[in-house]
Amino acid sequence: MGTELGNYKSVVSARCTDKEILKGAQDGGIVTQLFAFALESGIIDGAIVAGNGAEPWRPEPVVATTRAELLAARGTKYNLSPNMSLIKEVTRSYGMDKVGIVGTPCQMQALRKGQVYPIGLRDVGDKIALAVGIFCMENFPYQSIIQLVEDHAAMKMESVKKMEIGKGKFWVYGKRGQVVQLPLKVTHKYEQPGCHVCLDYVANLGDISTGSVGSPDGWSTVFVRSRNGDSVWAKAIAAGCFETQPMEKVKPGLELVTKLANEKITKNKKTLEGRATFGVGKGLRNPYL
Amino acid sequence: MIPLTKVVEISPTTRHEGHSKLVLKVNEAGIIETGNWCSITPVRGVEKLAIGKTMEQVPKIASRVCGICPVAHTLAGIESMEASIKCEIPRDAKLLRHILQLGNRLHSIALHDILILPDMYLPGTDMKINPFSAEEPVRSVAKRIQRIREIGQTLCQLSGGEAIHPSNPRIGGMYKACSPVAKTKMYDLAKEGLVLAHEQMDFMIAILRNFQNRDWSEVGGMKVQIPKNLGYHNQGYMATDPFYGSSSLDDNPTWDMDRFKEVRPWDWYMGETEVTLAEPRYPIGGTTPVGTKVNPQMEACTGIPLYDGQPVEVGPRARLVKYKGFDEKGTIGQNIAREMEFTDCLYSMIDAIDEYNPAGKVLADFIPQGDGSLGWAANEAPRGTDVHIAQVKDGKVQYYSMLVPTTWNFATCSAALAGAPWQLAEVVVRGYDPCVSCATHMIVLDEDERIVAQRLIQ
Repeated sequence: MGTELGNYKSVVSARCTDKEILKGAQDGGIVTQLFAFALESGIIDGAIVAGNGAEPWRPEPVVATTRAELLAARGTKYNLSPNMSLIKEVTRSYGMDKVGIVGTPCQMQALRKGQVYPIGLRDVGDKIALAVGIFCMENFPYQSIIQLVEDHAAMKMESVKKMEIGKGKFWVYGKRGQVVQLPLKVTHKYEQPGCHVCLDYVANLGDISTGSVGSPDGWSTVFVRSRNGDSVWAKAIAAGCFETQPMEKVKPGLELVTKLANEKITKNKKTLEGRATFGVGKGLRNPYL
Repeated sequence: MIPLTKVVEISPTTRHEGHSKLVLKVNEAGIIETGNWCSITPVRGVEKLAIGKTMEQVPKIASRVCGICPVAHTLAGIESMEASIKCEIPRDAKLLRHILQLGNRLHSIALHDILILPDMYLPGTDMKINPFSAEEPVRSVAKRIQRIREIGQTLCQLSGGEAIHPSNPRIGGMYKACSPVAKTKMYDLAKEGLVLAHEQMDFMIAILRNFQNRDWSEVGGMKVQIPKNLGYHNQGYMATDPFYGSSSLDDNPTWDMDRFKEVRPWDWYMGETEVTLAEPRYPIGGTTPVGTKVNPQMEACTGIPLYDGQPVEVGPRARLVKYKGFDEKGTIGQNIAREMEFTDCLYSMIDAIDEYNPAGKVLADFIPQGDGSLGWAANEAPRGTDVHIAQVKDGKVQYYSMLVPTTWNFATCSAALAGAPWQLAEVVVRGYDPCVSCATHMIVLDEDERIVAQRLIQ
């Protein structure tokens, strides 16, 4: 395909240099460090991140305006966090002019669509200062995660320290040291159906996109995409926020990212095509047409 | 015998909000003897469709009556519901509403400046002002007006969620408190606005005084005498507050429902007549052709609200007359009063921002669902007193009525047209900053409804 990784200026493997951030980060602490740096240097006034909701491992979109609030949002929560629901409010009662936002590929799409076709989004588009996309293969409703953790992995939600999808498995790490791995086959029926028409793996529309695939544990793969992303990234590097390695030097490298992106897009394109002839003599809607 | 009185019609009128026309009986010198200014905006019937809907929904619908002063309808609507269910809202919610209210007034005055400037002259010249001109000094004035409007709308967005159709107000207070960052931003904007508003007010008053001192104005190539008493009337004034408003929840409400009565358009307007004077030079496109039948009684789309049995004037001058001893009459006095509100509204807003506590709560702990009692709220909209009356029972609206500023002003302004040359009738109308879609949200109160329906069928 050749376009599966989107447009980018550069790609590296990176890890943040801040030990405190790294401690609770999912991978290389890229998102938390980028926003913390952007906040300190005045690039953003605050950032919409997936904070902690009322229930364990249920994210709730929050506007983080301090380093402490950013740190509290570290770690992947494998269920839906409607981050875009705050995109207008952040420019209203929060009073912000320079907004940071993190999101999955679909949320980056919503953001860009809102900037280009602002329907009910008056005075929002020009206040987006930094959009960080995260790689995403698929997502789950909260009820699915309860099912996977409490039934399949036989662990209370409260006792989970970290969840991870990698190396073909769904990993659940307990606070007391337990580790449970579920084959991804088990998780498939719990996926959110809307993810099956998604044709974006590595957040092609972020200013900067990052994810775990392609880099070693504790490191992240980072695509620097837009002119704005390039400028923020260069400043963060100059400030000593990150250590980096050239992508071609790390294993498994861009080859695996490309392979997974291809798999996602190919599979979901098939789903989309299937929708056209879903009924007898009629089909289901295709939002890409 | 040829009648001495002729009838001329200007339809539609321009440079104000909505759709209206002027039917004018003039003497042989072209001076108006009887003026009828009437709305010909289709009735949308917000008050009738509100019945049975939830008290949360109705003010958001009422907001859509007008996009220039949606804040007035949102707040008057919500506060009439709160008055009916007897819900007291927290102080910080009130302050946010106050900021929202004045942000809207700021932008509305500035917008009106653009609408009236083309009637005015650059002082010391015989050149009318085109606000779209790229020439100085007009260009900097236009830029200043746009910045003032931007400031007003941004203040509305911060405090009210949205500049056009504010989303933040709700029954019982506000959805969101403003953050300390937003508070600081509002303060800075208000301070910047204050400097610009002082400049703009001084500029506009100079322009208006210059017009007042002129003997003639040019309209479509006609040299028209400007009477010294342009727009004078002897109707009273009505206002409920210099800035915000009043409601039946207040200890001492400043509006009295017992003094209010509404009559039908045919009690007030002239009946069927025929256009006998046409002026193709009237800019742009001329007046209605001779021979056209007109009937203001049947065509007018508003009721005529009366206070103490008379139409009254509402708006900036009414507020200044009532609360500041302002005594200048006529169209120019009216416009000057509006300009004087520019800085007043920013000083009041800065006080409100100062007092606002971002950590305070903005929603009442308990929101009653209502027992069907009557409540009203008056909001001092940019154009004057906007009274909404509501009855809420079990969270649903049983009765809803809106008495909107321009509705009050229609009959008053019609009276003020007498004595003006017909070519300046629109200048008189614009003095009221009319908002015709605001005025035309209904016909009359329900006891008259049956008769209205019959008349319309005839």
